[in-house]
Amino acid sequence: MRTSDAVSGTMAAALGAVLIVASADLDPLPRQVYGAGTFPKVVGGLLLLMGGLLVIKGLKQRQAWARWTSKVALRPFLQALAAVVASVVAYVLLTPVLGFPIVATALLTLLFRAYHRQGWWRALLFAAVATTMIWIMFAQLLHVPLNPGLLEQVLYR
Amino acid sequence: MNELMQAASMVFNGEVILVIFAASLFGLFMGAIPGLTATMATALLVPVTFFMEPLPAIAAIVSATAMAIVAGDIPGALLRMPGTPASAVYADEAYLMGKKGKLGLALGINVTCSMLGGVIGVAVLALFAPRIAEFALQFTSDEYFWLALLGLSCAILVAGGDPLKGAISMLIGLSLALVGMDSVSGQVRFTMGSYDLLAGISLLPVLIGLFAITELLRSLPTAGQQASKVETPKGKMLDGVAGTVWRYKGGVARGGILGTLIGALPGAGADIASWISYAISRKLSRHPEKYGTGHPEGLVSASAANNAALSGAYIPALVFGIPGDTVTAIIIGVLITKGITPGPDIFTEQGALVNAIFMVFVLANLLLLPLGLMAIKGAGRLLAVPTGILYPLILMFCIVGAFSANNTMFDVWVMLGLGLVGVFLMENDFPLGPLILAFILGPIIESNFMRSILKSDGDLIAFVDRPIAMVLAILAILTWTLIIASGIWRGRKGGGETKAQVKAP
Repeated sequence: MRTSDAVSGTMAAALGAVLIVASADLDPLPRQVYGAGTFPKVVGGLLLLMGGLLVIKGLKQRQAWARWTSKVALRPFLQALAAVVASVVAYVLLTPVLGFPIVATALLTLLFRAYHRQGWWRALLFAAVATTMIWIMFAQLLHVPLNPGLLEQVLYR
Repeated sequence: MNELMQAASMVFNGEVILVIFAASLFGLFMGAIPGLTATMATALLVPVTFFMEPLPAIAAIVSATAMAIVAGDIPGALLRMPGTPASAVYADEAYLMGKKGKLGLALGINVTCSMLGGVIGVAVLALFAPRIAEFALQFTSDEYFWLALLGLSCAILVAGGDPLKGAISMLIGLSLALVGMDSVSGQVRFTMGSYDLLAGISLLPVLIGLFAITELLRSLPTAGQQASKVETPKGKMLDGVAGTVWRYKGGVARGGILGTLIGALPGAGADIASWISYAISRKLSRHPEKYGTGHPEGLVSASAANNAALSGAYIPALVFGIPGDTVTAIIIGVLITKGITPGPDIFTEQGALVNAIFMVFVLANLLLLPLGLMAIKGAGRLLAVPTGILYPLILMFCIVGAFSANNTMFDVWVMLGLGLVGVFLMENDFPLGPLILAFILGPIIESNFMRSILKSDGDLIAFVDRPIAMVLAILAILTWTLIIASGIWRGRKGGGETKAQVKAP
């Protein structure tokens, strides 16, 4: 979604203001005026300046506050956005409980079914193969501690 | 000589050769599929390289990117859809050549000139980088501060588009780099009480978020739309290629050298190199009217330039530790996590490693020819890979990759957050290159600034009292004046145009 430069400029300036306020109580180095707060204040100040200039530009050009300019239509984009966000949230919340193999297989089955549209059984089969490959690569070869969860007894018997 | 022998023994061992080959195949696959870029390939490779020794890690990234840029030419010629942005400028030209029945010649030129351009780039890199490094040995924290600042400022200017937006993108990167414990005073900044943020935001989730999740969010809506059946070239692939390349040998050399130089500029990568090289080739051509009708001359020059730019970007990265593009920014990040800080010292202290990196470059570029030809033959199958399967798989790879940085779910959240920010920024024409460069250069700029200020007891004049530092300072200040002036000028010009449009009937 494309917003007016005034909107994105305001967001940048707000980030700058937050940086300046949050770095106010950082102490300078002993017997110096400079310290941990110096750089954040400079970055914050520049963000305020650049954001301000962008706001002026957006207002001068009378840009629309928000409009959809992307090549893809809004609906499929929102669906993709929801799919990605929901997948990540589900992964983070469910993996500690159910474990990687179950969560990854379930998520991939849903995503394959939604985007490949070739039936549930085929989606489940592809998902199981893909999960096994990722497990072998990351958990077995690279020793990333992916949580086996409920399948711990099966995988490490 | 001893160093060269040592380097050769480092490169020619089973693991490194296997990594080069496997990474090339991975790059080939990623580059050939429109929507997946060389940077995305690198971002997805990084979790794997975390577990490797420094040389195979660099070899993997070098080979994958070089191959991805070449493979990006294939869908350009077959479908008029460039596989990576670096092939965009001549996709039309190659496609039109295909329409004239010269598909094999177009793709043969792409692969051959990419290899030649890549080799020219490596030669320039190997020849000049050690010389510049000798000179850079005199640099102190003052020069490094200005150099890093200048690098960032150039990145904004060459990123194209509105420099104000480039500058804001850079400042967002610097803000992200500020989070965590300050390296000089040890004070904790902007962690909001989170234990996970004490060591700062990790590079890997930022990279995957910005370059993989962002691209995925833009590509996923089109998943499942199969490409129409493509025709691949039949018969001998290299027929007529040697003759054409020889006829335009000047173009290959110019593309190679120009590409290397452009690649060496911070922020300018393979895509900008191919655009500029194509434009210059057209300007100098005896037949500029033939450009855009399926004429091989521009193709020769631009194909050489984009692969040469990949090597060029390593000059500032290895010599100063200042990345020339997003891929070298990632390489610097990988090297730092492995305890190697790129800079002039690396040439004296780890000469064998540097020479080994050059050798890897040559090998990766030589591999472009056989693997590129193989990819062209199998292009029909490559392009038929169902994106409805591929994209969800990439998402799962991203999640596991981000998690693997520190084995915490927090990094998965960071990846998602940065992915969403990345999409918003891209949709609003904020370039992502300056953001990632700033994220990596931020700590370098701040620590060199603080080191200089402590050395001089707070005296700011000390930053410019050495001649090289003063020259760099003047250049950095000039660049910033240009950025701000151009931002204001564009605002006025844009405002004028909009008003004129409103008034028009």
